[in-house]
Amino acid sequence: MAWKRWRIEEVIHYPGSQEVEKYVYTPGIHGLELAKALREGRVLGMKCPDGVYVPPKTYCPDGSPGELVEVRGPWRVVTYTLVHQDIYGNPLPEPEALALIRPDDADYGGLIHRVRAESIYIGMEVKPRWKPPKQRSGQITDIEYFEPA
Amino acid sequence: MGVHTYVAAAHPNIVVAPPTSVGRILMRRVAIVGAGWAGFRPQVPELSFRELVYEAASRAYEEAGVDPRSDVDAFVSCQEDYWEGIAIADEFAPEPLGAVLRPTYTVAGDGLQGLAQAFMMIRSGAFDVVVVEAHAKPSDIVTLDGIYELALDPLHVRPLRPGNPLFTAGLDAVAYMARTGASRLHLAMVAAANKRMGLSNPRAPHAARVTVDDVLESPTYIYPMSQLEVAPFTDAAVVMVLASDEAARRLTDAPVWLDGVGWATEVGTGAVEFHEWGRMPSIRAAALMAYQMAGVDSPASQTGFAEVEDRFSFMELLALEELGVAGEGEAAAMLERGDLAPGAFYPVNQSGGSLSVGVPLEATGLWRALEAYLELRDNSGAYDQPRAVVASWRGPPTYTSAVAVLSAV
Repeated sequence: MAWKRWRIEEVIHYPGSQEVEKYVYTPGIHGLELAKALREGRVLGMKCPDGVYVPPKTYCPDGSPGELVEVRGPWRVVTYTLVHQDIYGNPLPEPEALALIRPDDADYGGLIHRVRAESIYIGMEVKPRWKPPKQRSGQITDIEYFEPA
Repeated sequence: MGVHTYVAAAHPNIVVAPPTSVGRILMRRVAIVGAGWAGFRPQVPELSFRELVYEAASRAYEEAGVDPRSDVDAFVSCQEDYWEGIAIADEFAPEPLGAVLRPTYTVAGDGLQGLAQAFMMIRSGAFDVVVVEAHAKPSDIVTLDGIYELALDPLHVRPLRPGNPLFTAGLDAVAYMARTGASRLHLAMVAAANKRMGLSNPRAPHAARVTVDDVLESPTYIYPMSQLEVAPFTDAAVVMVLASDEAARRLTDAPVWLDGVGWATEVGTGAVEFHEWGRMPSIRAAALMAYQMAGVDSPASQTGFAEVEDRFSFMELLALEELGVAGEGEAAAMLERGDLAPGAFYPVNQSGGSLSVGVPLEATGLWRALEAYLELRDNSGAYDQPRAVVASWRGPPTYTSAVAVLSAV
């Protein structure tokens, strides 16, 4: 018989996985300098023809080479969001506040990071909460979070 | 308001090419002469992604009246290896399209970028009939969150392990609302309207009779958006047959013309921090390119309707502003006045948008073009200006967008 009763239980799926955990990423010229700075509790930007960008990325959006500069803040929330659910709609244990935070001595960009505060708003002044020096590894997570200044 | 004025005024960073550089390539017109689709369900358990493409292609070839083995000169397939879970997945493209031993090209991007590729191939004079394909089977992807996480900048964003890798949409939504004064109510109005409009669309599994209150009361997903303001994923395949004007007139009495295409990437995800938060300059730059080709200066008066990005509710309003359909910060007022409803001043997302249809990954843009194509093919008499604007964003964490202008005349 050509026609066959079809049931979803009869569908076979072949499992597969990708080796996505086995990469190393080269930080590059500015990336390495930023990593070193983070270990020292400092943040770098780059000077471009139209202003200072954070983080430094070796070259500017207009294609010209960027010049490393230190940025010191004060830091301000440019925009923010509260993540309540994961991609599948499962609630997170606690909503997470994430923000784009820009130091006043930069013109573009900033750091994307967590904010811990009772409330959060655009323009709010915040400061980085650094890990103890011995626990730092040159990653963005050397800043644990930003908190009200 | 000329196109140059509207772009240059708000976005000094966008370099506006002089019109002559585009004018020189206004050689032959390009038409869509057939389209097919398959799937458009949250899960299509009975078909592989290749069979979805085969089904959509069979329908497109039937409508266009072409044999892919003899009447099609080249094929464009839009896909990304990570979505397929297959390395070098472009090697899977030829057979389901009937493209074995024929020129086949892969665009690792949205289907609307593939449409632009096919447009250029025909405009160049090298090909007369070109097929574009895009497909998605997100239901096969067990760890979709892992792929989106892997798309984040590995140096400065991914180590944060944000609880939802789509969070950048929330950053844009909050910045957009602060700049324009659009409220959560406006965002909910977009979602409620689109979910209801999708009820008459056979491709809209996420359509529903919901009210603005239902949207506002649904649990928060990524603030400021609730669950009902974020488009779910959908399995689908879309295939379109494009032809030069000579070939199109041979194949059909009523071609739908593709009069302009554009695409752009702002700062990529390797420098996502530099993005202009609460804006979408990539849509604006893509629109400028497409409008110049199509001779559109004022989209709201020279085109009749639009299918635009709405995978997050706020994006519909932002897209309309970046497209120049609404003035700066004025999309919410158009929505309030009812200007965007079917039969009103400028209908937007009559298909129900992604909020009803879902997000078929890289097929999303080509599907938006499909909706505009079908409306112009079947219902062009309903419009004073039977032309449409199609605009799609590639979704977070990208800042890549593409725009097309379609015309029934």
